[in-house]
Amino acid sequence: MIKMPLFGKSQKSPAEVVKALKEAMLSLEKGDKKVEKAQEDVSKNLLLIKNMLYGTSDSEPQTDIVVAQLSQELYNSGLLVHLIQHLSRVDFEGKKDVAQIFNNILRRQIGTRSPTVEYICTRPEILFTLVQGYEHQDIALNCGTMLRECARYEALAKILLYSEDFYNFFKFVEVSTFDIASDAFSTFKELLTKHKILCAEFLEANYDKVFAHYQGLLNSENYVTRRQSLKLLGELLLDRHNFTVMTRYISNPDNLKLMMNMLKEKSRNIQFEAFHVFKVFVANPNKPKPILDILLRNQEKLVEFLTKFHTDRSEDEQFNDEKAYLIKQIKELRPPEN
Amino acid sequence: MNSYKRTFSLDIPTKPSLVSSPSLEGFRRRNSLTEFGQRFNDHLPSFQSEELRADLENGCTDSTKKVGWPNSKDDYVLAEVIGVGATAVVHSAFCKPRNEKCAIKRINLEKWNTSMEELLKEIQAMSSCHHENVVTYFTSFVVGEELWLILRLLSGGSLLDIIKHRMKATDCRHGVFDEATIATVLREVLKGLEYFHNNGQIHRDIKAGNILLGEDGTIQIADFGVSSWLATGGDLSRQKSRHTFVGTPCWMAPEVMEQVTGYDFKADIWSLGITAIELATGTAPYHRYPPMKVLLLTLQNDPPCLETGTEERDQYRAYGKSFRKLIVDCLQKDPTKRPTATELLKHPFLKKAKDRRYLVQTLIAQAPSLEARSQKARSYRKAPGASGRLHRTEAGDWIWSSDSEDEAHSNDDSDDEGQSEKPPNPLIQKELSQQQQSDSRASDTHLSGSSTSSCASAISEHEDAGHRPLPAAPPFAPDPLTTQSQAALVGELDPINLVLRMRNAKRELNDIRFEFSVGRDSADGIASELVAAGLVDGRDLVVIAANLQKILDGLPITTSVTFGLSSGCVGNEVPDDRTLVGFAQLSIAE
Repeated sequence: MIKMPLFGKSQKSPAEVVKALKEAMLSLEKGDKKVEKAQEDVSKNLLLIKNMLYGTSDSEPQTDIVVAQLSQELYNSGLLVHLIQHLSRVDFEGKKDVAQIFNNILRRQIGTRSPTVEYICTRPEILFTLVQGYEHQDIALNCGTMLRECARYEALAKILLYSEDFYNFFKFVEVSTFDIASDAFSTFKELLTKHKILCAEFLEANYDKVFAHYQGLLNSENYVTRRQSLKLLGELLLDRHNFTVMTRYISNPDNLKLMMNMLKEKSRNIQFEAFHVFKVFVANPNKPKPILDILLRNQEKLVEFLTKFHTDRSEDEQFNDEKAYLIKQIKELRPPEN
Repeated sequence: MNSYKRTFSLDIPTKPSLVSSPSLEGFRRRNSLTEFGQRFNDHLPSFQSEELRADLENGCTDSTKKVGWPNSKDDYVLAEVIGVGATAVVHSAFCKPRNEKCAIKRINLEKWNTSMEELLKEIQAMSSCHHENVVTYFTSFVVGEELWLILRLLSGGSLLDIIKHRMKATDCRHGVFDEATIATVLREVLKGLEYFHNNGQIHRDIKAGNILLGEDGTIQIADFGVSSWLATGGDLSRQKSRHTFVGTPCWMAPEVMEQVTGYDFKADIWSLGITAIELATGTAPYHRYPPMKVLLLTLQNDPPCLETGTEERDQYRAYGKSFRKLIVDCLQKDPTKRPTATELLKHPFLKKAKDRRYLVQTLIAQAPSLEARSQKARSYRKAPGASGRLHRTEAGDWIWSSDSEDEAHSNDDSDDEGQSEKPPNPLIQKELSQQQQSDSRASDTHLSGSSTSSCASAISEHEDAGHRPLPAAPPFAPDPLTTQSQAALVGELDPINLVLRMRNAKRELNDIRFEFSVGRDSADGIASELVAAGLVDGRDLVVIAANLQKILDGLPITTSVTFGLSSGCVGNEVPDDRTLVGFAQLSIAE
């Protein structure tokens, strides 16, 4: 609900609004009798802060100086932490306002510095609280919005990737509520792909653990999880930054077997994504013996299978070129001399 | 002269990534989440147990237990199909643990060719809305290869349903709804739009077909299929306007069509103005014209008004000044001059608005009868190709089968609301289907359907099936056997299906599909129709006629010809018969 009289020319200073919001939050957290009143005050003040940052249809956003003061008050009062820790208690529109306020001050820059990013680095519990938000239906998407904004900053992405909490994502992307699972997946993907060098280092350093978990996604009961994770796998392996990771992945015969099985899945979309991972195994100029053995054992079947594979994609030239190349490669495979 | 109007359909035979280029995407709408308004039929399906029926009759408002909406398919009982589209089907349903009715939209994810991210965005757009005038989303979960969206059920159907029913039942020559009804509906829609816009979203497809009515007179905006975050991820500062071409052409704002400057919230205000006209006259202005022509008319002419396209001068004189003023205000070509939703809520015309109960009287009471609606639902389900996965069981029930081996037809845009709004004999049925793909199977019905019937009945059948999707062309040359049987059928005056593949003004490949009845049609006649319909450049009339004749004369040996176009190339294009730059290809469709 939008409360009209609150629009526009508030005479409150940033310090006053933050103080008022903090008091309202504390009373909301206590959960005493006046919960409704407290919730109303929280929403009212959140809207005031949001309008300072974004402006309204009648008013421009506040000057940089006011925004700087506001941010400073939010850090110093610990309100940012409060808001996130008790997000569930805030009402529906208020939750969205919290996310917008958070994202706005996160993006704030002074020269090349991002003061809010620096602040969160000193209070990493903010990040972990946001990750835990995925466990709660009522705040999951708001937390997701904020987390993805955090993931755009390398320093914050690094904290998240190297934390134990990161592995919770393997659980979140499979929850039954589709919008939450997919939101978690897009955050997960952002973390694994946004900062190329950071991501490559992370994957190399934690290869076994990450891919052990990843295997679970590829074998998921959930069609969407299978399809999404397979597609992301293809993207990760084909990214040149992840060359070392790719080499390792395509040396493991179990991975090849999994992809060959996925090529035969009922879903055409999964077949197609599996093709884009399978091709990397075949195109590898230095195939380890176990890989070569599997391919040789299935040489004829693979040629026959690929010849009939998605023949209706006649418009997709790149796919057809790649398929023709794979067929040729497989046909020409010979056992090693000795 | 032909005594019947020909149906042309258009496909873009390119891959999805190319289709997403701006120009014509708006007409496609295949992957939109809600391709149709919800329609609901109150009676329960026959397969429901008596026990359940008793539950239902005991009422659904048991507020003592507040169970969340479950994420398990077994907790829901599917009832009537209330809408069918290319990638989804909508049921009315019953949620057992909550003892409550709902609507379930089942999206076939295998057929959903757009990225999952797009799908997520749409669902997030829905779940970030809590407003009485915006369709209520409860939850969503994956069932096999389907995504189930659990939504509030609005049993009155869409306003388009009600308009169409009323136009059939009564004389609407002087207007469909009275001003108070229109004002009430518009006020409710504007409240929803105001919320939407404050939320940083644009709806992009406001029209009567997307305005739903509840039993209690509630009005909700539905179809988030094309709605988008103006500001991505709720970030109001990052992106101030959109550059994608979506919406339905008749309702589309000029700046959306132009694709030059990008557009913002004000695009919805234009669509609202068109919807206002629709609520009064029953149709959008220019609804008689093919999409391309609509674009031209919207861009070149002065903004439309109530009288646009009417036969009599005073036909709509019952509508007063304040209503006309509202339409003029909304339909200003300069978006910055259009009022915002908040401003419009203060418009003098809306003083005529009444409350919900008034809508119950004027709309619900006169809504299509139960029989009519179930009839309609049946006809939806019968539409061939409406969904490749609807099957009839031995018991005569139509069921949605999700594990069928059949690849569903990808060219079935049918039952998008936009289609049903077209005049009874559309000159052109435009289907910008996403992928041309391999769905040649659909053609069987086409060939055999009329092989035994006389010429006249075959034609009338095609008329009846005015919106029936035509088969897509196979990617390869048809096999000789079928061609022969087709040639044999020609003798029985079965129409020949042809595809003309060429680039449009935006230089994208289009497939224009049409029929040719031997003895009835002539090559140059058809070529003229193509030109008249704005699908073909006038300079190419002769060359198309000549090649059409050539292919007809050459049957069954010649099934495809490629030829240079007189209109040539644009800009610095180099003619190429392989990519059809400066060339066109005419083939027999299987």
